Amino acid sequence: MTALRSIDVSKVFEDGFTALADINLSVDPGEFVTLLGPSGCGKTTLLKIFAGFYAPTTGRVEQNGADVTSAPPEKRDTAMCFQSYALFPHLTVAENIEFGPKQNRVDRDERLDRLNELLRQVDLERHREKLPNKLSGGQQQRVALARALAMRPSVVLFDEPLSNLDAKLREQVRREIRGLQRKFGFTAIYVTHDQSEALAMSDRVVVMSGGKVEQIGAPEEVYQRPETAFVADFIGSANLLPFDRVDDHVVETPLGRLTVSNRPDPNARFICWRPEDAEFGVSEGGNIVTSDISERAYQGAYTDLHISVAGAPDQRLHWPGGASCVGQSATFRLPPERIRFVRGEIA
Amino acid sequence: MRWRRTLLILALLTPGLGVILLMIGSVFYVAVMQSFGYYNLVGEDSFSLEHWEKVLGSKQFSRSLSYSAYIAVVAAIGSVILAYPIAIWLRRPFRGSLAISAVLKAPLFVPGLVASFLFLNVIAFHGVVNQFLMWIGITDEPIRMQNDRGAWGVVFLQLWKNMPFALLLLTGAVQSISDEVLDAARDLGAGSFARFRKVIAPLTVQAMQAALIIIFIGAAGDFAFQVTAGPTNVQSMAQYMVFLKDSFGRWNQAAVVGVSLMILALFGSLILAFISSVVLKSGNKW
Ligand SMILES: Nc1ncnc2c1ncn2[C@@H]1O[C@H](COP(=O)(O)OP(=O)(O)O)[C@@H](O)[C@H]1O
Ligand SMILES: [Mg+2]
Repeated sequence: MTALRSIDVSKVFEDGFTALADINLSVDPGEFVTLLGPSGCGKTTLLKIFAGFYAPTTGRVEQNGADVTSAPPEKRDTAMCFQSYALFPHLTVAENIEFGPKQNRVDRDERLDRLNELLRQVDLERHREKLPNKLSGGQQQRVALARALAMRPSVVLFDEPLSNLDAKLREQVRREIRGLQRKFGFTAIYVTHDQSEALAMSDRVVVMSGGKVEQIGAPEEVYQRPETAFVADFIGSANLLPFDRVDDHVVETPLGRLTVSNRPDPNARFICWRPEDAEFGVSEGGNIVTSDISERAYQGAYTDLHISVAGAPDQRLHWPGGASCVGQSATFRLPPERIRFVRGEIA
Repeated sequence: MRWRRTLLILALLTPGLGVILLMIGSVFYVAVMQSFGYYNLVGEDSFSLEHWEKVLGSKQFSRSLSYSAYIAVVAAIGSVILAYPIAIWLRRPFRGSLAISAVLKAPLFVPGLVASFLFLNVIAFHGVVNQFLMWIGITDEPIRMQNDRGAWGVVFLQLWKNMPFALLLLTGAVQSISDEVLDAARDLGAGSFARFRKVIAPLTVQAMQAALIIIFIGAAGDFAFQVTAGPTNVQSMAQYMVFLKDSFGRWNQAAVVGVSLMILALFGSLILAFISSVVLKSGNKW
């Protein structure tokens, strides 16, 4: 059985704007799924449909097999962690965490057990009587998390929960969230526009753009085998080139004639390869490219090179050494199995 | 150096604050002194408790004190109760919401006396309400509605006049609560009433108390509504005060009623504000 499922869900707002179109997504119990996409692509809207704040214009939402499309948020077994934390400013940390259980008439002993356990989990025992405005951003985030978990929800919906934290704290809270998920076993739907967050945390990533799902897959899958130009470009950096099919194993590109091991998809518009796919120091075996270097940026572990290609944008590759060892031009090999075919447009 | 600074600040404040304090203080001072037998228009000034004894001992006084207190409490609480749902409804703009809120606030621009005259015209023997009731056949004779003994007319006018004021204060306060905070409460299982009691009310308690206090004070001292539309068997404090002065020029007794009215306004409104915050606090505990 799926924990949460959307079937042909679309959302058109009163002003006529289509924020979501035909979203089909099934989430398994205990799974950690991220919705990844640029700002404005409809992630929050989808999350609010799952939480019950918006009714979908068409389509249905199911939770544990039951239709919940028209159930209001207060009647759903979901809990949301808001981007702005949305803590009750007039209630203490403990009162914030107890709000949900009190509202749901959980008895006193059980409530206090949950409260104390959660306060310990998120390391806020010393702050239980404080008001939210006396806490740091990271602490407020953890109160919001504890408040949602105190409901013992089967699904937790996160709306960019780390976007207001600094990089170091983000790393830490990210691990805490995964830890809590393992402990409590809830299903998580996690919205983010940060691809590294999505890759690091998720069991599956749903890549969205312009109100549509571009691709759904495990992190390795969406990174290694992007299906569209958008996914390739949005996750990590990708080199995209137009091509002409010569036969099933050879394509003609601005880099020259290349052998490929994947069959060209008839709908594919571009070939795609990643900067780290380039192999240096190999001069045998085909797919050897030599090109002028237009830019270089030392990154520590590697040097980021831009090479100019006639009739296409600059291509990027990672040279695994210092900037000083690079000459005026680069010669490298593109392994045939690393060349992917993708559909769609270049933004 | 410090005392020179303090002196300078005091000197700078004197023109503004000084005048205000002088005006408030002098009125209060004269009223209190008069109630104890000073500042007589005729006759000797001398300290005496006679006026207080006479007024406090009269049945009419206790009746008018409790009547004014009753009207003030009903006006203050009633206006706030009516204004809250409207403020919440108008929290986020929608098509026509601006026009609605403008119309709702219109009573603020109508002087009380004018309003009560219009009101009398509506409910009088020959007024539209009676005409309508007779026309649809509910009654054969016009019903007497004006100056009703239950003071419903006055209560209606008080609410009509004061609800917009409560709305003005509450709208701003309600609008300052973020959508996400209310959504969070919903997500945690709070229905609309629980959201009001546990989130909206506590977060707007200061505006609510301001509305309660100001409306209470205004309604406790009402003269215009009471004289035109109020019951004839009881007098409001203000009305009683004027009555004492007008009948045999009992200025000192009028002053006693005036001072009592000020005390009622002060303590009544504070008690109301205190009770409201206690009620809200208990709401958060369970
Ligand atoms: N209530 C609304 N009315 C009209 N348009 C909206 C509303 N809420 C969001 N939108 C629009 O829908 C699109 C998707 O919004 P949102 O789901 O918040 O995006 P994301 O969370 O991915 O950044 C945006 O273009 C936004 O302007
Ligand atoms: Mg968003």
